[in-house]
Amino acid sequence: MPSIPGSSSETVLGADATFKGELSYEGAMRIEGKFDGKITSKGRLVVGKTAHVSGELTVAHAGLEGQFKGNVVASERVELTGSAQVTGDIRSPRLVVAEGATLVGNVVISPEALKGEATRGSTEREQILAHSGAPAPARR
Amino acid sequence: MSKSGDRRALRCPRCDRAIEVSKLTKSTLCSGCHRTMRTEDETVTDYQARAEYFNEACVEVARKGVIISEVRVRSLVVKGEVKGPIRAREEVTIHKTGKVYGNVAAQALSVEEGAILVGRVEVGPGRPTGGPPPVIPVAVVSAATSASRPTAAINTKAAAGAQ
Repeated sequence: MPSIPGSSSETVLGADATFKGELSYEGAMRIEGKFDGKITSKGRLVVGKTAHVSGELTVAHAGLEGQFKGNVVASERVELTGSAQVTGDIRSPRLVVAEGATLVGNVVISPEALKGEATRGSTEREQILAHSGAPAPARR
Repeated sequence: MSKSGDRRALRCPRCDRAIEVSKLTKSTLCSGCHRTMRTEDETVTDYQARAEYFNEACVEVARKGVIISEVRVRSLVVKGEVKGPIRAREEVTIHKTGKVYGNVAAQALSVEEGAILVGRVEVGPGRPTGGPPPVIPVAVVSAATSASRPTAAINTKAAAGAQ
């Protein structure tokens, strides 16, 4: 099962490390340990095979190989390898799901996924509700 | 006359019953729910708005194809547009020209760059979990609705009488 390649200058949170809180960085980061909180970056994030991450991710490129619970907003792409177990919502222009990956959550994959979230989000929600059999919310 | 290699195992998209048919079978009758089940690979090239689109085979929605329906298939390739919940026993592939608005439950999902997917996704080995949700005939729904109305009226009268 191929893993997502890292860059030479990436920050690494090791397998024996636990982090709680907010984290921001520039460039690339790989998490192999436990993380609970919020990550904000314009760079690349890799959640390694041994990682247990929960919280909110706002990054450019998210590579998920391990366990992740929470929401992902990626301005470029989200990649799930075969070992990924993801529960939560994903919003990104591109998504790659490898065979064997587990993904449960609401997904908005569209080239305009991150533009005009407030207005577009409600339209998308209405479209989903209209076709999923659930009653549409009443307009005020 | 028939060999075991000439047969294939299927599952009814309505009642989830396991059925074995010949590889050449284009459609069959489910022994569980007694409904016809299509088992032939299909390419959708036009606009199809239906209550349900069930086919226990590979279905491809071509670039000009549109399905507006609940979709239950073995595997699905979307190059056009699908609006409605999708349930695939195997893989769902959304090509770069594909648009999917609806919930997706499948064993594997592949989304090409440029594709649009909006909905709840349940993907992974062993999914979709459990059998398919029951298909409730329209007649039963309307009967249940009409049956509930007099009950409410009786209750209202009873409440008025009590006052």
